[in-house]
Amino acid sequence: MSRRWALALTIVIGIAIAVAFVMDQTKTVSVLNFSLRYAVPLILAAMVGIICERTGVINIGIEGQMLMSAFAGFFGAALSGSMLLGVLFGVGTGMLMGAFLATGAVTWKMDQIIAGTVINIVAVGLTSFFYAQGKVLPDIFPTFAVPGLSSVPLVGPVLFDNNFFTYGALIIVVLLQVLLFRTRWGLRTRAVGEKPSAADTSGIAVQRMRFMNVTIAGALAGLAGAYLSLEAAGTFERGFTAGRGFTALAIMIFGAWNPIGALGAAFFFGLAEGVASQLQADEVVAIPQQFINMLPYVLTIVLLAIVSGRVKPPAAVGRPYEKD
Amino acid sequence: MHRKILVAGLGATALFLAACGGGSSTSTASSAAPAASSAAAAASPAAPAAPTDDSNCADPTVICVGLVTDTGKVDDKSFNQSAWEGAQAGAAAINGFSKYIETTDPKDYAANIQQFVDKGYDTVVTVGFLMGEATAAAAKANPNVNFIGVDQFNAVDAATQPNLTGLVFPEDQAGYAAGYLAGLTTKTGKIGAVLGTDTVPPVKRFGEGYQAGAKAANPNVEVTLVYHAPDNAFNDPEWGAAEAQKQLAQGADIIFGAGGNTGNGALIEIAKAKGAGDTVFCIGVDTDQYNTVPQAQKCLLTSAMKLLAEGTSDLVGMAANGSFPAGNYVGKAALADYHDTASKVPADVQQKVKDIIAGLTDGSVTTGVQ
Amino acid sequence: MSADAAQTDLGISGPDPRRELRTRAQAVIVPLVSVLIAFAIGGILIWLQGVNPLVAYKVLFTAALGNEQGLTRVMEKSTPLILTGLAVVVGLRAGLFNIGAQGQLLVAAIGAAWAGYAFQLPAIIHLPFALVFGMLCGAAWASIAGVLRAYRSVSEVITTIMLNAIAIALVDYLASEPLKEADQPLTRTPAIQSTAALPDLGIIPMGFVIALAVAILLGWFLSRTTGGFRFNTVGLNPNAARYAGISVRGTIVLAMAVSGALAGLGGAIETVGITGRFEPAFNAGLGFDGITIALLARANPIATIPAAILVGILRTGAASLQFETGIQPEVVDVILALTLLMVAAPIVGRLLFRNRALKATRVTSGWGS
Repeated sequence: MSRRWALALTIVIGIAIAVAFVMDQTKTVSVLNFSLRYAVPLILAAMVGIICERTGVINIGIEGQMLMSAFAGFFGAALSGSMLLGVLFGVGTGMLMGAFLATGAVTWKMDQIIAGTVINIVAVGLTSFFYAQGKVLPDIFPTFAVPGLSSVPLVGPVLFDNNFFTYGALIIVVLLQVLLFRTRWGLRTRAVGEKPSAADTSGIAVQRMRFMNVTIAGALAGLAGAYLSLEAAGTFERGFTAGRGFTALAIMIFGAWNPIGALGAAFFFGLAEGVASQLQADEVVAIPQQFINMLPYVLTIVLLAIVSGRVKPPAAVGRPYEKD
Repeated sequence: MHRKILVAGLGATALFLAACGGGSSTSTASSAAPAASSAAAAASPAAPAAPTDDSNCADPTVICVGLVTDTGKVDDKSFNQSAWEGAQAGAAAINGFSKYIETTDPKDYAANIQQFVDKGYDTVVTVGFLMGEATAAAAKANPNVNFIGVDQFNAVDAATQPNLTGLVFPEDQAGYAAGYLAGLTTKTGKIGAVLGTDTVPPVKRFGEGYQAGAKAANPNVEVTLVYHAPDNAFNDPEWGAAEAQKQLAQGADIIFGAGGNTGNGALIEIAKAKGAGDTVFCIGVDTDQYNTVPQAQKCLLTSAMKLLAEGTSDLVGMAANGSFPAGNYVGKAALADYHDTASKVPADVQQKVKDIIAGLTDGSVTTGVQ
Repeated sequence: MSADAAQTDLGISGPDPRRELRTRAQAVIVPLVSVLIAFAIGGILIWLQGVNPLVAYKVLFTAALGNEQGLTRVMEKSTPLILTGLAVVVGLRAGLFNIGAQGQLLVAAIGAAWAGYAFQLPAIIHLPFALVFGMLCGAAWASIAGVLRAYRSVSEVITTIMLNAIAIALVDYLASEPLKEADQPLTRTPAIQSTAALPDLGIIPMGFVIALAVAILLGWFLSRTTGGFRFNTVGLNPNAARYAGISVRGTIVLAMAVSGALAGLGGAIETVGITGRFEPAFNAGLGFDGITIALLARANPIATIPAAILVGILRTGAASLQFETGIQPEVVDVILALTLLMVAAPIVGRLLFRNRALKATRVTSGWGS
């Protein structure tokens, strides 16, 4: 999305939140908490998409990568008795799925969308076949309130009193923003995604760069999956990612392939979900629930239609690199 | 002290809300406890030889019971699982054989039912109200097979279709009793509910019964009901957890989770909250979720149960001994044991809940839910 | 990517006859070997569960192919898969990845239900009317993505993902409020009139015949007509198409509309041929299966037929597999996923044909542009 639109939308939502906060502090904070925790897996998954696409590879298999990692994370933790090991299992599985996509899409030069779709279908098949009932997580993750900051009104309880996944996701967003636009790795990544032949000429190993980045991104998908099963839901169920990996792709584009932009877009999706349920709880809705639920999707389409042409994907995305 | 209250709690559990309806008064074979594990059907030890496979089901002396799930699994910790446990227990009690098929595509309902019919099964249990039509059609086509439709209100009368019965439950009464308990127990005056979709009638009856019961216990209590959107309504534990956390933050101290995995997500989240099992409680649904969702044990006050396993098991038994109640059979609703939270519910509250359950049972208390 | 290489990938090869033969042989052998390997691995999973895989597979295939009911169900299940598969294929040929077959199928299914129950017409008009109305609903829904792609450069992948979510909510609303069957609790429309119902030809469902005809027609259209040539050219090289005087925008909108109409036909046939009304749960997942089918068929319209029948057989046999052997029906999904993996990834091709192997199927371009 173009900066002007993003700014306008941010200001409108900001004012709305401020007004709501003045009217009812508890409700506003709890709705924002809902939005953030709902947004965390979307944020992480959108970062996966951004890293992959910035480097020239479409990752439509985020959904499957998350599902596999959520599965590995949950059963890893339940069987080993350690939550931390669960996270490692999840992240490791995500990386493996990332390497799998990289092998198909980069090394074998498969059609990237097919490679991603294969991951999605394989993930559904394997996780539902090997699902076992009756496993329980050994522990819960603590939350951590940042001293001082957490007592700031509105911002404190929303941003500075969370679990480590949430802090991690927010840090990763900022880190990725800096890495992408302020470091040599970022420059090279973007060069490979925009003009791989020129990058190659200037001595960047295009294939290796792509392989590495797609694999690293897989680790983030693993973190998103681990968050879902180990923290957000506290359980694993068949197919419970329920399209979040696809929504993340929309968020990535909504955020113009920009980590901070995607963070805002993910939060917007979470906010729509939180406001929808709050309207229902307060019994102020005359609109059918289905319309509230489709609102963020409709808005995404409308916004993309309005700002189109001003946002462009990385030029070489979707095309395997062939030396001329 | 503690132990005494626990026993009292057990007593309350034994008080079932609703008697058998449908004009039948046969409530004898109800003692068969549902099998705790969903492993193989356990044959009753005393009896001679229960069949170990279904090769002889066509033989009239061999009783075979088949179960077809809705698009869910028999390990769903919820209604498919309970019905399957009931079918197993019912079959074991009459020395019969039992088996299930899990439906993966709703268009296979008829074909999956037919598998059992072709093998000569005597009783077929179909689970879930979406299967109502397929079940009724199969009953019409196969007059020699008894059909039990769990959660399916049967519109055909008993005289024209003597081999079909809909096993339905007064979910509103279970919800009412749970809401009544919540209304008496809440310290903040606010209670909540995280529910599957209101487009599924049993879920709506649970929710509205809960609200009515809470208001009856304390007219000033604030009740928040939030339903998931219809799509993916029963398999979204992340949403359930987030919604539960939101309601807790807004002051609710007792939350009812009713909606498959979505509701289970809410229960698990509440068990993680500060004060869980002390100042903050959750209420489960369908079965005693102390057993099916062990992560929620810490906060679980009780569960608003439909005695699915018992109802199914009873009907399987009746089908075998010739007293099959065609039409509709109203199963029982109940509150589960307080388990670990028994000490948090004062004796007078437990007594009042017991009284309201008695009232619901004898009809002197009505929920007002359609 | 050069236009020539891409053409080989799509199986519309150049004049060299030897090369063409090799291409065709590989196009048949690779999927066959892939299926065999997938079944072998599936067999290991079955064996690990303590069941003889040969017995299990015999049960699966007997249930699906060994009797009339099984055959009918295989054909019934294959029908929407062929059509949603074709929907994805048409898009791929024109360089579009239509992930929205599910949404298009849903709006068409409810549209056909409305056309089927709300009107009193003679059968000769009513049935075609319901089918065509469903197709139009699907086409209109897909055209939103087509127009946005053509005129606003918005990626159809994103819009179709969004439109799927919107369609799910929309049809749910329609079936639970304005179009709901009165006086009963289920979220569903009234049953269609008998005049709108699709008849069977003996054990062969009419919908299956329609799907076969459409697949053959589409194969002919894409390989033998100027319209098809336009689709392929736009898909392979929009710049060349522009030079050749082809309206790229018009072609994109048309291809998306055709794609939506095909998915819509799948939904409409489900309504008038199988379910007899619209009920949301009954159409879950069919559109997504279309992607699998299209990829298994390597974007070849005719090849969607065997691909869809394979999936139909597996899905039909799955319940019997559980009934007879206790194996979870999900094993079928694993087999399917492995098949797709080997067909899509150039593993088997390289193994069998070494360096003469075809390149991996290339069917999509990037986002937008």
